Amino acid sequence: MKRKSKTGLMLLACVMICFGVAPNSESAEIRGVTNDSMRIGMILVKTGPVAALGLPEGWAIQDTFNGINEAGGISGRKIDFIWEDDQFKTPLAISAFNKLIFRDKVLSILTSGGTPQTIALFDQIDKHQVVNIPNALADEMFNPHRPYIFIIGATYETQIELMFDYIMNDLKAKDPKIAVVYAETEFGKKGLEAARKRAEQYGLKLVSELVLNIGSVDASSQVLSLKKDNVDFVVTCNLVPPTITFLKTAEKYDYWPTTFGINWSCDDMVVKACKTAAKNYIGVNCVGGWADDTPGMKRVREIAKKNDRDPAKMLTSLYTMGVGVATVYAEGLKRAGKNLTPESFKNGLETLKDFDTGGIVPPVTYSSTSHAPTTMSRLYRADPDKGVMVAITDWRTPKVIKK
Amino acid sequence: MRSKTFRESYEEDIRIFQTLWVRFWLVLFIVALLSLPLWADPYIIYMANISGIAIVAALGLNILTGLTGQISLGHAAFVALGAYTTAILATSLSMPFWITIPSGGIVAALFGILLGFPCLRLKGLYLAMATMSFGVVVEYAVTHWESLTMGVRGISVPAPSFFGFSLGDPGKLFYMTVFFVALLTIAAKNLARTRVGRAFVAIRDRDVAAGIIGVNLTKYKVMAFAISSFYGGVAGGLYSYTTAYLHPENFTLLLSVEYIAMIIIGGLGSILGSILGAVFLTVTPDVIKNVADLIGHRFVFFQGRYDEEWNVAVFGLLIIIFLIIEPTGLSGIWSRIKTSFKNWPFTY
Repeated sequence: MKRKSKTGLMLLACVMICFGVAPNSESAEIRGVTNDSMRIGMILVKTGPVAALGLPEGWAIQDTFNGINEAGGISGRKIDFIWEDDQFKTPLAISAFNKLIFRDKVLSILTSGGTPQTIALFDQIDKHQVVNIPNALADEMFNPHRPYIFIIGATYETQIELMFDYIMNDLKAKDPKIAVVYAETEFGKKGLEAARKRAEQYGLKLVSELVLNIGSVDASSQVLSLKKDNVDFVVTCNLVPPTITFLKTAEKYDYWPTTFGINWSCDDMVVKACKTAAKNYIGVNCVGGWADDTPGMKRVREIAKKNDRDPAKMLTSLYTMGVGVATVYAEGLKRAGKNLTPESFKNGLETLKDFDTGGIVPPVTYSSTSHAPTTMSRLYRADPDKGVMVAITDWRTPKVIKK
Repeated sequence: MRSKTFRESYEEDIRIFQTLWVRFWLVLFIVALLSLPLWADPYIIYMANISGIAIVAALGLNILTGLTGQISLGHAAFVALGAYTTAILATSLSMPFWITIPSGGIVAALFGILLGFPCLRLKGLYLAMATMSFGVVVEYAVTHWESLTMGVRGISVPAPSFFGFSLGDPGKLFYMTVFFVALLTIAAKNLARTRVGRAFVAIRDRDVAAGIIGVNLTKYKVMAFAISSFYGGVAGGLYSYTTAYLHPENFTLLLSVEYIAMIIIGGLGSILGSILGAVFLTVTPDVIKNVADLIGHRFVFFQGRYDEEWNVAVFGLLIIIFLIIEPTGLSGIWSRIKTSFKNWPFTY
C-alpha cells in the first residue's frame, strides 16, 4: 500500500509540474521564408471518395506554381510547395496543419481542406496567422470577418438566385413549376434554403424538394415524382456523379425539364457523360468555361497541356478554379514584396481591387474589413455535340428584389 | 541474468506488475510520456492525442470483440454518440469536460445496452450485420436531427477548461487525454483479470459451455456491450475536444473498420494489443511517408513517386499478413520477444 501511494504522489507531482510549464514553441523568425525561397503548404483531398474533386484543383495549383518558379519566382523567391492529403477527414486535416506549421514551417497554407476541416481550424488559422483560401463557399468563412481567410467563388445563395433570375427574366416563364433536387450535404441544404427564399421573393412556391444523395446510382423515384407533378424547371444542388445519374434517368423516362446545376456540377464532364440527355442542362459557375476565348482561359489550357493534364479525364472546372486560386494567391505574394511576412501577405491580398485574371474567375476585390467572395457568376448551357458547357451569359450579379 | 519468473500462487500469476523491472520501465515510460509537451513539437503532441483517442476506442472494441467474441461493425456509432453528447452538453449547457466526457460514455453505454439485448441470440455474420445497421441508424440520426446535432452544418466545440484554466492548447489537452487513457487502461486491465473478464473469455471460447458452468449469458453479453460502448463514448468525448468541430461524415462505417483493424493488428483480447494496434495504425501513414521521402532523397528515380493510396494498400496488406502469419498481433510478437530474452540462452 505504501509503495502504491508513493508512486501515485510522484505521478501527480509530474502532472502538476508539466501543467505549469507547458511550452510555447513559436519562434521569432519568419516562418518558411528565406532570401531565395518561400515554403507554402496545402491541405487538399487526394485520396478517398471525393478525390476526383481535390485532384484537379491541386494539380492546377501545383502546375501554376511550377510555372511561376520556372519564370524566376516571386520577388526573387521560388515557391517550395508541399501538398498534404486530408482524405476529407477533419482529424487528418488538423494533423496535416500541425505538420505543415511546426515541422515544415510553412509561411502559409493555401487551402486547409473543405468546410468542416477549415471550421475546425479557425482558431489555429488566426493564432498562427495562416493566410489561406479555403476550398469552401459557406457563409461561416467570411461572416463574421476572419482576418486570414480569403474566399474565391460565389456563394450557393448567389448561384441559386441567378438560376431563378434566369428562369423569370431571361426565359420569361409564366407561373413556372420549379422543384429542387439536393444532396443531404452542407452545400445541398444551403442551396435548398436559398431556393426556398428566392422562390418566395418571386411569389412562387417550390413544387417539391427531393433528396438525391451522393453515391446514388438511380434517380427513378425522383424523376417519376417530378414528371407526375409536371415540373418544368429542376434546380439541382449536387456533385457531378448524381447530376449525371439524374439527367440519364430523366432521359430514360422521356422527361425533359430544364435542369440547373451549381458550380460543383457545372462541368464538361456532365455533357460528355450524358450526351443528349444533357441537352436541357444549364449550370452556374464562378470560373471561366474551358473553351472560352479569353486570355485567362487560354493560359489555363496552356498550363494543362504543358503538364500533360488531359481535359477529357478530369473535372476541368476545378482545374480552372485551381489556376484562378493560385493566380490570386501569387498576386498577394507579389504585392507583399521583398519584406514577406504573414501580415504583409495578408495586406497584399487586401489591396486587390477588381483584380482581373483574364476570365479565369470574376474580378477579385478584398479589403481590410471584407474577404467575402464576389456575387458574380455565369450561366452555361450544355452543348451535347461538342461535349462542353458553353457560356450563355456574361458575369452577372443577382437582381435585387425589394419586398 | 534473470531467469524465468517462478510463481507460487494464483495471485502472483495474475499480478499486473510481475517484477521490479516492469515497474521500473513503466515509471520511466510515464515520466517520458508526461514530459512529452516539454520537448516534442505540437505535431507529435497532436498525434499522441489522436493515438490516445484511438487507444480508448480500441480498448472498448477489444473488450467486446477480443475478450467476449462479439463482433461489432458499429463501434464508430458509439464514438459518435459520445462525441455528440459531449459537444451538445459543452455548447448548450456549458458543462465542464469532467462532466461532459463521462456523460458521453454513459449515453453510449445506455445505447450499448439497448443494442445488446436484441443482439443476444446473434452470432458471427448476423451480429456483424446488426451492429453495422445500428451504425447506419446513428449516422442517419446525427445527420438529420438538425435541431440537436446541427446536421451537416456541424457543431463547433469550445475548448475544455479546468476550474477556469483553459485546456484548448494541444499540449494541455494531452494531459486530459492521458488521464482518461490511463484510467480506462487500468480499468480494462483489471476487468480482464476479474470474474467478469473470465466470464467474457468463457463466452468467447464457447457460450454454451459458459452457460453450463454458471455464467449468466444475458447479463455478461449485455455488460460487454455496455462497457465497450462506454469506452467508445469516452473516446468520442475526447475526439470532440481534440478536433473542436463535429461533422456526421467523421463517423462512418470506415471508422468502425479502422478500429477492427487496430485490434486485429494489435492482438485480439489483449490490452497491450489494443494500445499497440491503435498507436501503430495512427502513426503508420506518417512512417510510410517519411520512409518514402528518405528513399526519394537517396534515389532520384523514386522522388515524388509516393502516393497516399500506398497507405490504404499497406493497411490492407498488414491485416492480411497479421491474420495469416501472426494472429496474436503485435502483442503476440512483443510477448515472444520478451520470453526469448527472459529464457535466453534456452529456446523455451
